[in-house]
Amino acid sequence: MEHLGYLFAAYSIIFAVIFLYVMFIWRRQTALDAELRTLEARMAALNERSAASPSEPRTDI
Amino acid sequence: MNNSAIRNWLGYSTLALMLAALFMVFDYVPPEAEQGIAQLIFYFHVPLAWVAFASFGIVAIAGVFYLWLGDQLWDDLGYAAAETGMVFCTLMIVAGSIWAKPIWGTWWTWDSRLTTTFILWLMYGGYLMLRASAEDTPQVARFGAVLGIVAALDVPIVIASVRLWRTIHPAVLVTKNGGHGLEDPRMVATLLVCLAAFTALWAWLLMLRFSQLRTRTRMSALSMKIAFANAAASDSK
Amino acid sequence: MSGFAAVLRKDLRLELRSGESTLALLALSMLVLVVLVFALDAARVRSVDAAAGALWVAMVFAGMLGANRALLAERDNGAIRGLLLSPLDPGTLYAAKLAAALIFMAVAEVGAVILMVLFFNLEFDASIARLAPILGLGAIGFSALATLLSAITGRTRGGDMLLPILAVPIFVPALIAGVKASGAALAGAPLDSMGDWLKIMIAFDVLFVTAGYLLFEHVVGEQ
Repeated sequence: MEHLGYLFAAYSIIFAVIFLYVMFIWRRQTALDAELRTLEARMAALNERSAASPSEPRTDI
Repeated sequence: MNNSAIRNWLGYSTLALMLAALFMVFDYVPPEAEQGIAQLIFYFHVPLAWVAFASFGIVAIAGVFYLWLGDQLWDDLGYAAAETGMVFCTLMIVAGSIWAKPIWGTWWTWDSRLTTTFILWLMYGGYLMLRASAEDTPQVARFGAVLGIVAALDVPIVIASVRLWRTIHPAVLVTKNGGHGLEDPRMVATLLVCLAAFTALWAWLLMLRFSQLRTRTRMSALSMKIAFANAAASDSK
Repeated sequence: MSGFAAVLRKDLRLELRSGESTLALLALSMLVLVVLVFALDAARVRSVDAAAGALWVAMVFAGMLGANRALLAERDNGAIRGLLLSPLDPGTLYAAKLAAALIFMAVAEVGAVILMVLFFNLEFDASIARLAPILGLGAIGFSALATLLSAITGRTRGGDMLLPILAVPIFVPALIAGVKASGAALAGAPLDSMGDWLKIMIAFDVLFVTAGYLLFEHVVGEQ
């Protein structure tokens, strides 16, 4: 079973890097979700305002 | 089939294929006569290579469509393909190097396949550095598209010239380029399953990142609309 | 045709007046060769392969400097907008820029070849004449690539640093072919013995001049 160390190293690195990339995507997703929540809040605020004063131009997108 | 259905299907297929591939590599395929157990790296190394080159093709094709149609969707696809391609290209080089050490006795050799992959890796790096060093405007997206197209068109010439370079002056070490003497049908089957598994994995990661970039594009557009609406609302007060 | 000539004449006249780009180009080629003389110990080794390699290194680095300057003239004061508003089509503009870059590179190459012969203990004989078509093909390919890419890198934060990063990997096939053919030519081989290398360089040149001509409009436009 010579070279077993190399085989193990190669396969581990492959899976480690793929795992890290998935984590990278995951972190970006969390940031995106937070931004989305902010946007939703701002939209809700806009809708309230236009509902309160209907004479203003429609802004509820 | 909508996007998230495709993503889920790809994810589960990847899992299943990967498990099958691992089983075949470690429990099914007979070991190769001369190279011993490190030769098993080959079953991952080759699929990684195929995926790295395929991704590069996607970057170029997406670039063409972006320049032609102007839809941000194509730029998002190209950028996602560049990222995933870079990941797999890096892995291919690392795996190739780890394979080289026990088989050829050195961590690196300028044989035609490794050299070409290294050039590909540099091109990926250039593309990502270009995108990272500039804001995400349509102009920069066009730059990326042009670069991707130009680099992809170059790849066949790179392959030809490197191969010529290496046949006239063979590498100092006797290279057993991939050992494509796959006599045993079990080896072929294993390789095919590994190819399928890595293609699924790549496609899945590509879809994930692509959907993410699409979402980000849509959110920027939405954010701008809200900003305008806010400005309009406060103007008319 | 007249648009092409006009832009080309403008660039050349600008350069002839100041001469600073050409001077910098020649100086840079020479200094790169000097570095390589010491790095490769050219004093003790009489090697055409080392000489050919050094020549191409000098050319590539000097060429990158020249390429940045090709579009720099218009970028600094927004004069590029004037060019774009003119009835000149982007392809012709590209051709003119390419021609200017090519001329600068040719001048640098002549200087580099002379220095190479002197520094690397070679002879001014027929082998130098055989170098000419090889260097010409290389200059065309490199100028075509660099003119296109410098339009991109000049407008991003990466700027000057980014051009070599993008250009070198793409230029590799022409570089390999050029160095190999140059080495063979200096060693006395006839041009038809290096047919394969020349074919690669010609393919590279055709590909990149065409690609540059077609794609240039996408990289010079405004937002």
